[in-house]
Amino acid sequence: MSLVISNIEKQYKILATGTVINALNGISVTLRKGQTLGIVGESGCGKSTLARVVSGLEKPTIGTVTWANEKIKDKAKNHWRPHHSKVQLVFQDPYSSLNPRQQLGESIAEALRVHKLVTKDKIETRVDELLSIVGLTPDLKHRYPPQLSGGQRQRVSIARALASEPELLILDEPVSALDVSVRAEVMNLLIDLRSKFGLTYIFISHDLGMIRYISDVIAVMYLGKIVEYGNWEQIIERPMHPYTQALIAAMPDHSIIGNPETLAKTLQGEVPDPANLPTGCAFHVRCSIAVGACSERVPVLLEMSPEHLVACPEVKS
Amino acid sequence: MSQLKPLLLVENLGISTVQDPRTLINDVTFEIHAGEAVGVVGESGSGKTLTSLSILGLLPRGVAVTAGSVNYNGMNLTTASPQQIRELRGSAISMVYQDPMTALNPVMKIGKQLLEVIESHEKLDANSDQRVRDALKEVGIPDVARAMQSYPHEFSGGMRQRVMIAMALLLSPKLLIADEPTTALDVTIQQQILSLVAEQRQKRNMSMLWITHDLGVVANLVDRLIVMYAGRIVESGTVKEIFTNPQHPYTAGLLSSLPTTADKSRKRLTSIAGVPQKPWLVGQSCAFAPRCFKVQPECRTQIPHLVGNLEKSVACFHPMGAL
Repeated sequence: MSLVISNIEKQYKILATGTVINALNGISVTLRKGQTLGIVGESGCGKSTLARVVSGLEKPTIGTVTWANEKIKDKAKNHWRPHHSKVQLVFQDPYSSLNPRQQLGESIAEALRVHKLVTKDKIETRVDELLSIVGLTPDLKHRYPPQLSGGQRQRVSIARALASEPELLILDEPVSALDVSVRAEVMNLLIDLRSKFGLTYIFISHDLGMIRYISDVIAVMYLGKIVEYGNWEQIIERPMHPYTQALIAAMPDHSIIGNPETLAKTLQGEVPDPANLPTGCAFHVRCSIAVGACSERVPVLLEMSPEHLVACPEVKS
Repeated sequence: MSQLKPLLLVENLGISTVQDPRTLINDVTFEIHAGEAVGVVGESGSGKTLTSLSILGLLPRGVAVTAGSVNYNGMNLTTASPQQIRELRGSAISMVYQDPMTALNPVMKIGKQLLEVIESHEKLDANSDQRVRDALKEVGIPDVARAMQSYPHEFSGGMRQRVMIAMALLLSPKLLIADEPTTALDVTIQQQILSLVAEQRQKRNMSMLWITHDLGVVANLVDRLIVMYAGRIVESGTVKEIFTNPQHPYTAGLLSSLPTTADKSRKRLTSIAGVPQKPWLVGQSCAFAPRCFKVQPECRTQIPHLVGNLEKSVACFHPMGAL
């Protein structure tokens, strides 16, 4: 296993009130090199926190993350750089992740200089090369971010992430901010880059359609926990956890048309406050198959069929 | 259906900026009949929001209707007085916006905000309070008494959107205009709101104009669809026609660029190269021509006009043709 995320917990304390938010409550997942792990869940489920922990931007409260047998170190500055060069993060919004006053070529060159991967005289050539890898013409390097379209900007973000020759790319909602007609282009680019450079991806999204399209394995998160894990076909075609089933039923799908009945199968209620989690299974307050015991016992991930894990004792294999 | 007079008839609508005139919307024509739900799909900059805002005279400062007309029940809204439009707004035609946090008054209790809606059109009486209570209850707000005394920030995003819907439905409008009301919500909450709206529309036999960028959202919600691109309607028709037999290369491209659960093989997504043009830079040509795989010389020298009927219309010299 190349990526081993082991029993991660992350708590945030609101200083003013002393309230503790449990963003991640025991996440364990492994990933093979070259594979793509899709992480899906609604806002507040902890998917972005997990991205920040795996990339090393945040230190977990408990637990460890290792990439290629190397543990992601604590906040000592000199330990960061080698890890950051191997693990890169691409954010949702290229409008805010690129410096609007920096020429795009300079944005990419900066990454090259930080990681000391090429000599000074080769930087310019490498910037051109990176731009063409993501399908942009090198003359764009003298432009500023506001002069580009959303799709082009996201390509620049990807080029900058690739500058350090990473092995693991964490993509946090990389196409959600883009217009529908350019999403497909960026998705295709990501798939091409994966096979060209043998990259491993963690693809985070609330959009099951995109998750389904790119992932080998999928983890469904709810309130800081993985509730179901399996390969993409298991999760999409044969979901077992009631939450996964509800998510899939709610996914807007234009392959079913003119059938208002499809709108009726909705999940009741809303996601509870992470500062005040329900006891037992956090999902039981919205669950259609909940029984009395669900408010007491904390479900663990159990293997229902080979490599298909479900955290619900009421689901039978 | 076409023999009946439509409830809303938008004809040859044009919208431009006032200074340094730039065309934003061109020659937009469509109609909505009583009880009918029409969806408008388009990407950012396609003009879908401006079209909806122009109906109620809510265009932002510096942008104005420069051509065509909007007729509601025989009344021309583009020439109506502000007083006449105010009478319609919120009662006969009401609107739900994408972001309830900016549409609701953050420093006024919900109950009072809803009472204001009644007050702006009729006299408040002993019954008004109960009407507000009923409206909130109908959209699924739990603990209505407490909700009336709460401020918008005390609600979740989904609940705020329910409050907005309650407000929009309070005076039983004939037409509800909804501008991406579920875009900011999580999918399961989006589903709840869509189901609520579909149910209320059915119950009240209300007409609806639903603006969205997400084709999946409207697939099971509306009767007819309008597809906009760079300030013009490129295709319109029944939901079934648009989804199963798209004629404009843009509509076809958009549909095949979306992953669907029907595709078991996860084949490569078809993408549309390039980016949309700015409407004011298009000139005498089809706006989609630079990105179109079927482009011909005339596409670059003439503007294609929308031709067809309510079932199916397309603005293209070389449509996709039969399946």
